[in-house]
Amino acid sequence: METIIRDCLDGKQGAWNMLVDLYSKKVFNMAYQFAGSVPEAEDLTQDIFLKLHGALPKYDFGKSFTAWFLTLAKNTLIDEYRRTKWEKRQRDEFDERLHAAADGDDPERALAREEARKLLWAGLDALPPDMRLAVILKEIQGKKYEDVAEILGLPVGTVKSRINRGRLQLAKILRDRPGIPEGGHP
Amino acid sequence: MTACDRIEGLLAAYVDADLAPEEKDLVERHLEGCPSCAALADSLRSAGEAFAAFPEIEPSPALVTRLRAVPGRRRFRFSLDFLLKPSLQPVFAVASIMAVAFSLYASSPDKKRIEQAVTRQLHRGYSTFEKLTAKAGAITDSLGAAADSLYASIKTLNPLGKTDKYSQ
Repeated sequence: METIIRDCLDGKQGAWNMLVDLYSKKVFNMAYQFAGSVPEAEDLTQDIFLKLHGALPKYDFGKSFTAWFLTLAKNTLIDEYRRTKWEKRQRDEFDERLHAAADGDDPERALAREEARKLLWAGLDALPPDMRLAVILKEIQGKKYEDVAEILGLPVGTVKSRINRGRLQLAKILRDRPGIPEGGHP
Repeated sequence: MTACDRIEGLLAAYVDADLAPEEKDLVERHLEGCPSCAALADSLRSAGEAFAAFPEIEPSPALVTRLRAVPGRRRFRFSLDFLLKPSLQPVFAVASIMAVAFSLYASSPDKKRIEQAVTRQLHRGYSTFEKLTAKAGAITDSLGAAADSLYASIKTLNPLGKTDKYSQ
């Protein structure tokens, strides 16, 4: 990774392309899950890579590049959210084509999961931006608490409680959805 | 704080099997008698499963192309950055005013009248400037004359009665 970054700093296009190939999917998904719309996520991803290109000379080679870059991505997402408030924005409709995942052979279970995913997708918008990003990194992207804490620049304890509060808020949306009797399993 | 509030705070860690044995017992005893908290624990598990099933989306080839072109875009942006300097803003303001004035003149059907008015104003300004220069010259002359006469008076009076050693 160090060689790629040094080559990027030397202006080698091939090295930059490699960096794009390594991180574009990760960053695009983070932006998409955070913003909820593909065009917006594409613009945000481009902003993040523009900022990365400008900030690359400041990268400290002693630190983890992934954590440093994802922190830069997180700052861009939160700053953009605070700057525009995304007042007119709406999360894309839950798209099965995009969100389809293997649910096994049990159609009833698959339906319940699909419904849960729809509710959670919409419910992400109800979370404050910092909490939403923490939940995305831990629950959807499957990062460890320590990694999320490093990206967010917060102590692990703070991150844990923030994520757990977010999870509870979303779980309440699932629990209180109409048609499910109290104590019922989705 | 109700018992449910206290248990809610422990539920996520309970679902993650991240509680000490005594806290785990406390939660389990509460869940046996509280359907609402038991349903919340189930929903927490369902949410975890549903989140884990969110697939990653591939970025579009068009986006990847745009991202690969970032170094070129940044060089272009950098080359135009100087235009955004605050120090150039008054220059842009004057240029904008001049551009507006010129476009008004160019689009006016009565250009001759505008030219005459401008010429008249220029003449007026020039004659005012000439008058001011003449006045300033007169003031300078009278000040010079006053200074000369003052100097001559002081010389004639010679209040200290000294003689200039060089005049002897």
